[in-house]
Amino acid sequence: MHSPFGWIRWLAFCLPIALVSVPDHARASELTIAQATAPAALDPGFLREAATLVDNVFDTLVMRDDQMRLVPGLATEWRVVDEQTWEFELRPGVKFHNGEPFDAEAVKFTFDRILDPAANAPTISYVRTISEVEIVDADTVRFHTTGADPLLPSRLSRYPAYIVPPGYLREVGEQEFASAPVGTGPYRVAEFVRDDHLTMVANPDYWRGAPQVERVVWRPIPEATARVAALLSGEVQLAESIPADLAQLIESNPELRLDRVENGGLTLYLGLKSDEPPLDDPRVREALSLAIDRQAVVSRLLRGFATVHGSQASPLDHGYLELPAPGYDPERARELLAEAGYGDGFEIRMQAPRRYNASAEVGQYLAQAFGQIGVKVSLEIPEWSVYTQQVPAGSQAPIYMLGWGSTQTLDADAALYPILRSGEPYSTVRDAELDQLLDRSRQMLDEQQRVELLAAVQQRVVDQRLLLTLYQEDSLYGVANGVRFEGRADARIPLFDLGFDR
Amino acid sequence: MSARYVVHRLLQSLLVMLGVTVVVFYALHLGGDPAALMLPPEASFEEIAAFRHAMGFDRPLWVQYIDYLSRLMQGDFGVSLRFQRPVLELIVERLPATLLLALAALSWSTLLGFFLGVVAALRPGSAIDFFARCIALMGQALPVFWLGLVLILLFSLHWRLLPTGGYGELRHLILPAVALGAYYMSAVTRLVRDSLIDALGQDYVRTARAKGLSEWRVIRRHALRNALIPVVTVQAMEFAALLGGALITEVIFSWPGIGRLAVQAIQNRDLPLVQVIVLFAAAVFVLVNLLVDLLYALLNPRIRL
Repeated sequence: MHSPFGWIRWLAFCLPIALVSVPDHARASELTIAQATAPAALDPGFLREAATLVDNVFDTLVMRDDQMRLVPGLATEWRVVDEQTWEFELRPGVKFHNGEPFDAEAVKFTFDRILDPAANAPTISYVRTISEVEIVDADTVRFHTTGADPLLPSRLSRYPAYIVPPGYLREVGEQEFASAPVGTGPYRVAEFVRDDHLTMVANPDYWRGAPQVERVVWRPIPEATARVAALLSGEVQLAESIPADLAQLIESNPELRLDRVENGGLTLYLGLKSDEPPLDDPRVREALSLAIDRQAVVSRLLRGFATVHGSQASPLDHGYLELPAPGYDPERARELLAEAGYGDGFEIRMQAPRRYNASAEVGQYLAQAFGQIGVKVSLEIPEWSVYTQQVPAGSQAPIYMLGWGSTQTLDADAALYPILRSGEPYSTVRDAELDQLLDRSRQMLDEQQRVELLAAVQQRVVDQRLLLTLYQEDSLYGVANGVRFEGRADARIPLFDLGFDR
Repeated sequence: MSARYVVHRLLQSLLVMLGVTVVVFYALHLGGDPAALMLPPEASFEEIAAFRHAMGFDRPLWVQYIDYLSRLMQGDFGVSLRFQRPVLELIVERLPATLLLALAALSWSTLLGFFLGVVAALRPGSAIDFFARCIALMGQALPVFWLGLVLILLFSLHWRLLPTGGYGELRHLILPAVALGAYYMSAVTRLVRDSLIDALGQDYVRTARAKGLSEWRVIRRHALRNALIPVVTVQAMEFAALLGGALITEVIFSWPGIGRLAVQAIQNRDLPLVQVIVLFAAAVFVLVNLLVDLLYALLNPRIRL
């Protein structure tokens, strides 16, 4: 008779065979990068996510160097023709991966495709100031704008302004293009297995020269702990979006280093519904600001991986105004409340989503800090996908936490305008003087005067406490020793600049 | 089993599915539409409104529902807002990974759970029984997100035996299958143990023993066979549930299955995709339930309607 234990011996024999295969180590010119999110599609005109991947497949007319200066890309030079016209000289001799030539027609095609109202491009707001792209000759184009647009070159340095090949797109259609894109960039897409990996291979004919790393594999690992584990085990050599509470694991590992981009992350703030009582009283808003010990939050809850600034813009933004860090004085806060007629405090709702580094814990601290000056906070930790509908719809709590940044424009305008101009979806500020300053800054072609207007905006926000800036997060990368990489302020990972130290 | 019973159960299943479409549709749409979330933060109200209109989100909810239902009936499951591809295609693409993980997790957990359950039931109260019950308790008590991370820490980081995640080879499958199966292993252990102990006390077992059969034969031919029925039922249901995707396990191990697709869809408020994933999961569950019921009626003449 068979023993019921027979299969155990069989299993005991098989198990070690299954276990002996060890993760293969990266070849010398191959690199694996772990990302927090999985790419859905790779059409730069219709992106609904960060442009990290397409940034390596496509080029823009204007590029940013590692100092974040605007430098020539597919355009060699540009100039202002008149208040509503910019002219760009195109780089001759550049070809797309499929051999199609890059020319003025490709530029016009790229923008016409996004600006076409029927296309419903989700990225249209980044280029909405462009009214028309005019072909002057094969190597020259003119951009006509709806009004004066001082930020046009900066707009042309980011998505959706990546130049796409008209011939290939017409041939294969948009859906195919989104999974097998063709650009002029340093890398070609070799394999795209959704949710598992995306492999890129170097384009040897790249106009800036052949890239150093032959093959790059991008792996989406959404769980932060698993992402860090993949780095620690050597499966990946570079990982982005390292949360502050896991940074220690990387710092203490001799084979890895933590790359910290100071001010590379979002600036967190408390949005206030400042047209409703009791927040319509500037003294109340100042009292709330004085109740927060920002330095303690940064050092205790964020392990130091954040910086407290006075301004809502980032020091890396063009047009940043350096202001003293907001003070901490609960005594004075209580006095201000009493002056405003709230000596016994009041009750209010606050929302803090679990989205940013330790943000729910920061929310709990804030509720407690406000409690100490007599403001009773009922704290909600909303689910992110619900919260991001409440905020633009105006149905969020009177005090709400958000993180904001200038994304890839690195201009104070993007860090300020959408959350401060009245009538913008993400703004709950209603301040006529501020609106005027913001509007004038958007029309100002003179750079010096524009920076002055932006400075006045930042000053007014602080004077009136129209929102309460908390701190700016760092962005953290984990990098294997031997990999040459430096995190950038614009959060891009340009593979062209990557290499191995030998 | 009468034809009337089959028709009755089929109609019931259809009704359940219709109910699911209503609940899913309204639950998702009451939370608001995804227009603002799908556009970049710099989008103006006009742009959001234009987009909302283009997507048809500004129509009354019941009109959108009727429209949705009629398209479903015609086999049009819609296009994912984020992926811009037909949702059915996305689900079919991820089905093999989910199927593989579900099969792997359920097969090892059934085998081991069955073994532990039998061993424990044969010597109730013994050290072996205690041990088996401890394992069963642990498997059910340890949350999968914790177990998954501990497995990664031990097998990927400490011993460097297995990858932390990914898909494609056997070594990628082991950790997620172990993490996911632990719970079911415990469930099977307890179920087998209890129903076997129960069966061993039944009259037919006493009769079999009285006939002079060997103890092992009594267990195998008489007790175990009867103890098996609830196990098969439970595992069939678990399998059906797992085909809807193992949300947490798939996210932790970067497993490209339906569960991870569902999590992404929810985070991005990709309504067409969320709807169809829920519908799909419900359909599989209803279908398996129906099959099990029909099989029961076929196997056990005592079940009649």
